[in-house]
Amino acid sequence: MTDKERFVPTSDFVEELSKRPGGEGISKCVQCGICTASCMVANETDKYRPRKLIQKIILGKREEVLSSELPWLCMTCRMCEERCQEGVSIAEIFRAVRELAAEEGHIPDVFSDTVNLIAEDGWMLADSYTDFQEDDRLDLELDPNLGWNCEFSKKIKKRYIDGE
Amino acid sequence: MKELVIYVGCTTPVRLPSYERATKLVLEKLGVNLVDMKDANCCGTQFVESLSHKAFIAMSGRILALGEEYSRDILAICGACSGSLKMVKHELDNDAELRDELNELLAEEDLEYTGSSRVKHLLQVLNEDIGYEAIERAVVNPYSNLRLAAHYGCHVTRPFEIVQVDDPENPTIIDRIIEIIGAEQVNYTGKTRCCGGPLLAMDEGVATKIGIDKIRNIQNASADGLVTACQFCNIQLTQCQFGEGMEPEERIPVLTLPQLMGPALGIPMDDLGIWLNRIDSKPVFGTLQEAK
Repeated sequence: MTDKERFVPTSDFVEELSKRPGGEGISKCVQCGICTASCMVANETDKYRPRKLIQKIILGKREEVLSSELPWLCMTCRMCEERCQEGVSIAEIFRAVRELAAEEGHIPDVFSDTVNLIAEDGWMLADSYTDFQEDDRLDLELDPNLGWNCEFSKKIKKRYIDGE
Repeated sequence: MKELVIYVGCTTPVRLPSYERATKLVLEKLGVNLVDMKDANCCGTQFVESLSHKAFIAMSGRILALGEEYSRDILAICGACSGSLKMVKHELDNDAELRDELNELLAEEDLEYTGSSRVKHLLQVLNEDIGYEAIERAVVNPYSNLRLAAHYGCHVTRPFEIVQVDDPENPTIIDRIIEIIGAEQVNYTGKTRCCGGPLLAMDEGVATKIGIDKIRNIQNASADGLVTACQFCNIQLTQCQFGEGMEPEERIPVLTLPQLMGPALGIPMDDLGIWLNRIDSKPVFGTLQEAK
């Protein structure tokens, strides 16, 4: 035997994710665990282990992964990606997982609330922008009129998120 | 003269306007001409991005197209915005279908994305457009006996292949500038780690622990202050110091890079919004050679 073939474990869930933007690299994972070792979230809480979450995907535990809050805990800081020897981007894979979860109605409240807010106002902090902040801006000789466009984000939410 | 259009994002103008002001004053001082981007929308980072890839492309894509309306490169001072705009630009430039779909949407407003406007984070403008020598020449009031730690911000430096700002494993731009303005740069454990900010929405407790961990490492390196290049990092690394277990006298000032640079370049302290800093920054500004 001169040609050594590498066994690449797969599952329907892996195939499905591989076809989505961000999910392409999942088959490259060799489960070495440097992602978990690099991860500050894993460092501070036992509930989050990126390697194990990837393993669940490889094992095809689709419903468990999609209904879990865990993919939403990735900070997308890309520290693991910087160190991964196999060129896997966990931030991208979990982004693909989140999008799929969202399509099936699994969205953490804080994400749907914030997206609704952005869609309505065009940006995230319209409610927080009060006279106090305006005064601070005036004191700093900055324009108090922030001039956000709120039409485009409404249109985008309708088209891509509500699917109208 | 370098001309840029500044996209300030949502959080800086409301929660850290001193960052916006100091950026404008410092860049103006160093010969950059800035105009504000008007009629902009959220870049879509994290929240929209997680729910729909296409919606995210559209939101950041529109900002990129607005940059072209100004015929200028876009300056982003927020790590999240800079990351989003660069990632989306990369995708649009490599995917004609995606570009066509975006342009179909933008056509309703007579906007078009062609890819002609580049996206620059503040650190790139300082390093590439202005350069260390010009900054050095502009220093009129250097700091002395001051030890500062740099925090770069994840979305500012990673992934390097796309954002192209600084070495993600050993970033040096902030450190170089700290030295140029007369202070001493201090290395510390976990320098390139995240501030915890992106986790605030999902788990504030863990996010705060991540921030505090960073602060403790910086304190252990005996730094007098911390320097950031993203308002999210700045706000998070300030905020986390007000939780339990941190004595008020232990807190270290967190300054944005332009606010730190300002006085050294001769910009009046009163113009830089220093009174808005939540943690007393006298330990930093008191070391200016001509401190009042």
